[in-house]
Amino acid sequence: MNVSTTVETLVGAKARGDENAQRIFDRILAAAQPSAVFSAPVVSGNYTVITACQVAVGGGFGSGLGVGPTKRAAKDQTMSVDGSAPAEELGGGGGEGGGGGASARPVAIITIGPDGVNVKPIVDATSVALAALTAATAMFAMVFRFRRAMRT
Amino acid sequence: MSIFAPLIEFRQAAGESVTAHGFTVTPWSRAIVVRLPFARVVWNRPIGVDVTADNVTRRLPIGQASQVYRSPVIGVLIILAIAMTFNRFRRNHRQE
Repeated sequence: MNVSTTVETLVGAKARGDENAQRIFDRILAAAQPSAVFSAPVVSGNYTVITACQVAVGGGFGSGLGVGPTKRAAKDQTMSVDGSAPAEELGGGGGEGGGGGASARPVAIITIGPDGVNVKPIVDATSVALAALTAATAMFAMVFRFRRAMRT
Repeated sequence: MSIFAPLIEFRQAAGESVTAHGFTVTPWSRAIVVRLPFARVVWNRPIGVDVTADNVTRRLPIGQASQVYRSPVIGVLIILAIAMTFNRFRRNHRQE
């Protein structure tokens, strides 16, 4: 494989990877639509119910490629005077990776009934408990360190 | 427009209206979109619903109920930690 083919293959692969990343970014941005937050209305008896959620989505990608002389080229010292390797003695590689996450939790329930429209908030007990636990741990660690510092 | 507009964007949008029992409900959401060169972050939350009945529109806000409970709990813990530290400081001072 010559240099231009290697570079073309790598650049093509990187472009395809970037396209895929862009497609996933577009999907992430779909979470910014109101339809991601409000559910479709559900009719039950005399009542129409819509749930409202808080949504957080994130994702990132990275990619890279490189071209260099092969080990054989370096070993055989076939490098030219100006430092560039012969066309046939070049190799390359590339890679990409990414990660992401999403979370959603209910915030309120909207009910439409004969008696009017009601917005009922939902208290997420787990989130309150976790926040309290984290804050308590941080506070007690701070107090413990302060006490130890005063002792010395 | 802010210079950070391409990086951070605030979007407020109305969802599809729902009509039932003579009430037309239009939900509203507000999203924060962070665009980094190789990453995107979206945080979207409901802010309220517009209720239209008899040509009169009123806004029913959707609050952060969990936040209402979370903040006092964290506040109490901070006060408790300060009180414990102060108490210890006072005892040490008295012993000296």
